[in-house]
Amino acid sequence: MRILKALSALLTYPSEALLEALPEIGGLVERDTLLGKADRAALLALVAHLQGGDLFDRQEAYGLLFDRTRSLSLHLFEHVHGESRDRGQAMVDLIRVYEEGGYTPTTEELPDFLPLFLEYASTRDPKEALDLLGQPAHVITALAERLAKRSSPYEAIFRALLSLAKAKPDAAALAALRAEPDPEPDDLEALDAAWEEEEVRFGPGAGDACGKDSLGAKLRQANRPAPGMEPAGLAGPRTTIQHSGSRL
Amino acid sequence: MSNFLDRLTFFSKVREPFADGHGITTNEDRRWEDGYRKRWQHDKIVRSTHGANCTGSCSWKIYVKGGIVTWETQQTDYPRTRPDLPNHEPRGCSRGASYSWYLYSGNRVKYPLIRSRLLKLWREARATRTPVAAWASIVENPEKRASYMKKRGHGGFVRARWEEVNEIIASANAYTAKTHGPDRVFGFSPIPAMSMVSYAAGSRYLSLIGGVCMSFYDWYCDLPPSSPQTWGEQTDVPESADWYNAGFIILWGSNVPQTRTPDAHFYTEARYRGTKSAVICPDYSEASKFGDIWLSVKQGTDSALAMAMGHVILKEYHVDRQASYFRDYVRQYTDMPMLVRLVKQGDAYVPERFLRASDFDKSLDEKNNPDWKTVAYDEATGKVVVPKGSVGFRWGEQGKWNLEEQESGGKDVKLRLTLDGFKNDIAEVAFPYFGNIEHEHFTSDDHPSVLKRNVPVKKIKTTEGEVLVATVHDLFIANYGVDRGFGGGHVAKSYDEAVPYTPAWAEKITGVSRDKIIQVAREFATNAEKTNGRSMVIIGAAMNHWYHADMNYRGVINMLVMCGCVGQSGGGWSHYVGQEKLRPQAGWAPLAFALDWGRPPRQQNSTSCWYAHTDQWRYEHVNVGDIVSPTAPAGPWDGAIIDYNIRAERMGWLPSAPQLQTNPLQVAKDAAAAGMEAKDYVAKALKDGTLKLSCEDPDNPKNWPRNLFVWRSNLLGSSGKGHEYFLKHLLGTSHGVLGKDLGAEGKARAKEVVWHDEAPEGKLDLLVTLDFRMSTTCVYSDIVLPTATWYEKNDLNTSDMHPFIHPLTGAVDPAWEARSDWEIYKGIAKAFSKVAPEVLGVEKDVVLNPIMHDSPNEIAQAFEPKDWKKGECDPIPGKTMPTVAVVERDYPNIYARFTSLGPLMEKVGNGIKGIAWNTAHEVEHLKALNGVHTDGPTKGMAKIVTDVDAAETLLMLAPETNGEVAVKSWEALSKTTGREHAHLALPKEDEKIRFRDVVAQPRKIISAPTWSGLESEKVCYNAGYTNVHELIPWRTLTGRQQLYQDHLWMRAFGEGFCVYRPPVDLGTIKPVQGSKPNGEKEVVLNFITPHQKWGIHSTYTDNLMMLTLSRGGPIVWLSEKDAAKAGIVDNDWVEAYNTNGALVARAVVSQRMKEGTLFMYHAQEKIVNVPGSEMTGQRGGIHNSVTRAVLKPTHMIGGYVQFAYGFNYYGTIGTNRDEFVVIRKVKNVDWLERPAKDAQPVIGSAAATAAE
Repeated sequence: MRILKALSALLTYPSEALLEALPEIGGLVERDTLLGKADRAALLALVAHLQGGDLFDRQEAYGLLFDRTRSLSLHLFEHVHGESRDRGQAMVDLIRVYEEGGYTPTTEELPDFLPLFLEYASTRDPKEALDLLGQPAHVITALAERLAKRSSPYEAIFRALLSLAKAKPDAAALAALRAEPDPEPDDLEALDAAWEEEEVRFGPGAGDACGKDSLGAKLRQANRPAPGMEPAGLAGPRTTIQHSGSRL
Repeated sequence: MSNFLDRLTFFSKVREPFADGHGITTNEDRRWEDGYRKRWQHDKIVRSTHGANCTGSCSWKIYVKGGIVTWETQQTDYPRTRPDLPNHEPRGCSRGASYSWYLYSGNRVKYPLIRSRLLKLWREARATRTPVAAWASIVENPEKRASYMKKRGHGGFVRARWEEVNEIIASANAYTAKTHGPDRVFGFSPIPAMSMVSYAAGSRYLSLIGGVCMSFYDWYCDLPPSSPQTWGEQTDVPESADWYNAGFIILWGSNVPQTRTPDAHFYTEARYRGTKSAVICPDYSEASKFGDIWLSVKQGTDSALAMAMGHVILKEYHVDRQASYFRDYVRQYTDMPMLVRLVKQGDAYVPERFLRASDFDKSLDEKNNPDWKTVAYDEATGKVVVPKGSVGFRWGEQGKWNLEEQESGGKDVKLRLTLDGFKNDIAEVAFPYFGNIEHEHFTSDDHPSVLKRNVPVKKIKTTEGEVLVATVHDLFIANYGVDRGFGGGHVAKSYDEAVPYTPAWAEKITGVSRDKIIQVAREFATNAEKTNGRSMVIIGAAMNHWYHADMNYRGVINMLVMCGCVGQSGGGWSHYVGQEKLRPQAGWAPLAFALDWGRPPRQQNSTSCWYAHTDQWRYEHVNVGDIVSPTAPAGPWDGAIIDYNIRAERMGWLPSAPQLQTNPLQVAKDAAAAGMEAKDYVAKALKDGTLKLSCEDPDNPKNWPRNLFVWRSNLLGSSGKGHEYFLKHLLGTSHGVLGKDLGAEGKARAKEVVWHDEAPEGKLDLLVTLDFRMSTTCVYSDIVLPTATWYEKNDLNTSDMHPFIHPLTGAVDPAWEARSDWEIYKGIAKAFSKVAPEVLGVEKDVVLNPIMHDSPNEIAQAFEPKDWKKGECDPIPGKTMPTVAVVERDYPNIYARFTSLGPLMEKVGNGIKGIAWNTAHEVEHLKALNGVHTDGPTKGMAKIVTDVDAAETLLMLAPETNGEVAVKSWEALSKTTGREHAHLALPKEDEKIRFRDVVAQPRKIISAPTWSGLESEKVCYNAGYTNVHELIPWRTLTGRQQLYQDHLWMRAFGEGFCVYRPPVDLGTIKPVQGSKPNGEKEVVLNFITPHQKWGIHSTYTDNLMMLTLSRGGPIVWLSEKDAAKAGIVDNDWVEAYNTNGALVARAVVSQRMKEGTLFMYHAQEKIVNVPGSEMTGQRGGIHNSVTRAVLKPTHMIGGYVQFAYGFNYYGTIGTNRDEFVVIRKVKNVDWLERPAKDAQPVIGSAAATAAE
């Protein structure tokens, strides 16, 4: 799955090294047989975009998008666990997945960094790789949508990933992610809704009143099964990247 | 048949139920249990803490699994307290527990970042030039310089490599040192106690190159000048455990459960023990519910309340009945018996200076420093005597600087407190009154500006002829308006007479009923009398943030002192704000300020510096005439506020940076060329005008600060009083300043300062910030360096709240490309050593330093200060002007020096607070412990290569962590006091606390003369304890707690004695109110910025958990009544503005708020959910957008014992509570999500750039 390695590279900071590799990446995209025509065209547009123009501008834009905009973070667990304690454990589990696959992540990046995750997937056989890709499908979908809102050519990478994975994102999880406040809130109503405080209720039925989506990131950990709880003998990675609403 | 063979002997059926059928055995797969077991397994637990600028100083367990921090819990292994005292645990609050996510947060700074425009310029220049020349080519070209400067705060960062940014920074520093002078390189970092090695990293680098370390405590306005004024000591306070020993606690403007959470349990426990508590604060705060009684005082009028309580205490315990404990205490431990000269002013007298031994014939036989020895009457002989302990005894002689009740010759004396009944006269003495100053928002009355009251006096023969004298005691009581039967006006027999400062009078000003005032005062004093001083006031910095803060604080201090509470267990003044006792200070200072290589370091008081260099002075609406006393001695008392600062710098009172308009490296060369010693050359050149002080012309490009490092701080955000002025003048970027500078009026007013018609915009060439999160300061920086978080580095932490020293340790390696502060500055030092030889070699640097407190120079100007510039005296370094020293800088070897313990520790030794000792033995130990360099320029010297080496160095050198040094330091002090003190440390002489010891468990520090309290098995740490119990004098003029301040400027500004002074009118509303109407109603409110519940101390409000628990963005609180007036309902977007700028936030409408006030909790970030302002057109600003620092001349005094300068000890403070804002609903909430006007379309649509 070299195409995954190519997508991983395209999603990293536009360094001089990446710039030099763009023709090679472009070639690989062109020859790829797994992706549809439209996906390939969009990816080639991204390659062309990165090749053209001033490198500093490309770097500034990358930093603004992926380093500074929280809702576009390339760290998958930012969107899954937010700032809950579970994030640490989830990362620990993910490292174990890599190690069981025979790879040790270098220490410069966190294990849930999407390009890192893709690079690992690129070393797997196609079935396993696509299975891996399918797990964060809801995150990838949400990121694709947010990038589309910004008309960013980086959207192509996420669309390509979704095409490859052929996975249907978990509807509930995606809906929850979509309802998360977007830090570029042009939409005041959505912002107000996100901040609206839930009426405090006691007694029977009080439980239903909780779980407002805006508080979801914090409450998710309470709903989520403890990691490692899967039935014994299940094949594949033990940590699955999934959203609170879903169950195995 | 027995069926014997059918029965099994050795087996039972496997699946047989047991326990009456409640138990069965199964053999299902049980591996699922592993999930639970492993969930809380971890590889290691590492001890660390949160280096937020919080006094908590709580030790935490950090759990690490697979190299990743997974969670944290409170440490519970503090050493136990003694029996009958609750333990310190649990320490650590829920806010601290939310920290572990920060390591991996999306908000983390992950790579070295640089403004792309600057990097582009650099790479172009560097392609053809050497490093320093490349930097020169950028900053000497105005267009190039402006191209990146104007983008500050507007995004545009790209990643860069460490080697590259280090080279840029080093080149900028080298260029600046060579071109403008090393004193144009500034560094700001606060509160060393919270991570002292990290602080020391930057300050060591700066001190080695001759850069300027800036103070924080005064700038944060947490520094109470009242403390040095009274005690000659800064913020020495009881540990929180001592609250438990109190019998009566007043919480005054302090919100213990909310802001001192880990210590609040002692307050609760004290109440279980039976301690009564009064809470004084305007709003119904979290603390109010703890109070047995709550006094809702009008904000800003606390001194009126304190004066009224003082009135009650004086009347009932000192005048109508004399409580013997109180009387004996004030006789021995305060200046109350000392004699003060009275001079005629109009038809009355005013108190002037203390009478000195030198006023008498033959100086009463005092040969040494007779100008600095105060005098009193002895009751037995009726003669004037020179009691031991005044500052004259501290310097130049030995054995008599103590508080024994003896006169200089060794005879026992009992000093006379009052002259009443001592063949005295009665004279009318004038006291200033400020309560009649009208203010739109505060109650005033119509008492005259001068209150003449009758005081017992005596004529006394001096070398200047006969003068009238009175005791401080008699003047002090008269000042409170207590009637003692001497006749005359402005005194009250009854509490119901509305005479200053009776409870009836205070009721009008403060809104607190008189009976409550009387009740609290009585209970406070009665408890103190019965328990020998176990009444305590926990005071909040809120009261110190007013322009007349000293009156609030001195009012409270007076109450404590008249009840004998200071220096007694369970009593005293508890100000837990901002300083966070740097317990091993004496060992840390050499490391931090590179005293092992050169002395003195350059240290600057930030408030004066920022006031000048962000040009806030150009907008100063407060006139000296507004604040000068109606009883001021003759003098012009004119000019602008900044003029007083310039005079102070000139006379050696306050530090000055930059110091001279000429590069100090050049000054050294010029002095050599003239064949003169630097100090003589500078004095001469200043007098003849060849040299000019930079402070006289802060807007001249020759005097600008050029490079600024910010680390461990959010200088421009949470700490940037006058934020918009910083943006406009220091940074030169877009800003929201709404008012205009004073223009022609300012020009006319300035007496000392040079007024330029055009103010500069953009003084800094380079702003470098080290942080782990993208703070408001980072957003405005040119270079942002990713620093290690508190779980990724080794460091040390202490607090004033508890007596333990404990570490930060690296649980994991710094994530991404982050490095610890120590490694970052080491890297810059290395790069500097590499680029410096292009322009710098071994250089001589002329350093000007103010007259320092606790040095023999502190007794510089005994009487009226004289100004050499006006020809009143000659400029004499260290006497009438700053001291002048030459320090050698070895610029190519900065790195070698940074990583080695220099030779001065062996040659000169170490010391603190006027006590000096030899350190040769410690240096030998360090060589053995850290190892020595085996080659290079520092061959044979002890290594300080790693952060742990640095920690070991300071632990080894400090008396608090090395018992041997503690004993040495006590012995050194014994020589001066003539009393044996070493017994306080002898039992711990062999104790040496090392880094690994505190990693194992927090350690209690060893008692040392650095501090006035003891760490023992008998008492809790309490300030002033050794003054009272070991008879070590306070470090003031009289050697006692000084309630009367006789310095000329204190008298001129009406603060010889404590009085009530209403908040000042800063004039920031009228010029802008109604200037841009949006159709909504407006209301004017007092702008208050307390510490919050929803942030990790005063920073880190960008924490998502905290945001979720509050309202997810900036909020302001106001009362229901004010909200109704302005048509505001809860959660509306509102704007607050005045001439300083504007801020936008959501309104929280609450019954808890006092009418007339607006709270904006401290340090909400500009980077989280802040829409645009309708007033400025810029993004809505922060709490500091509507503030501006306003200086007070009395804080500039120096050269006078306790008023002599000390870094983070005395100086101007950044007050901001007198500020008012206009508040109204926002009509159109505009998020400004558009590209900046000159932005290139980057990727796709406009929204992607979001750079406006």
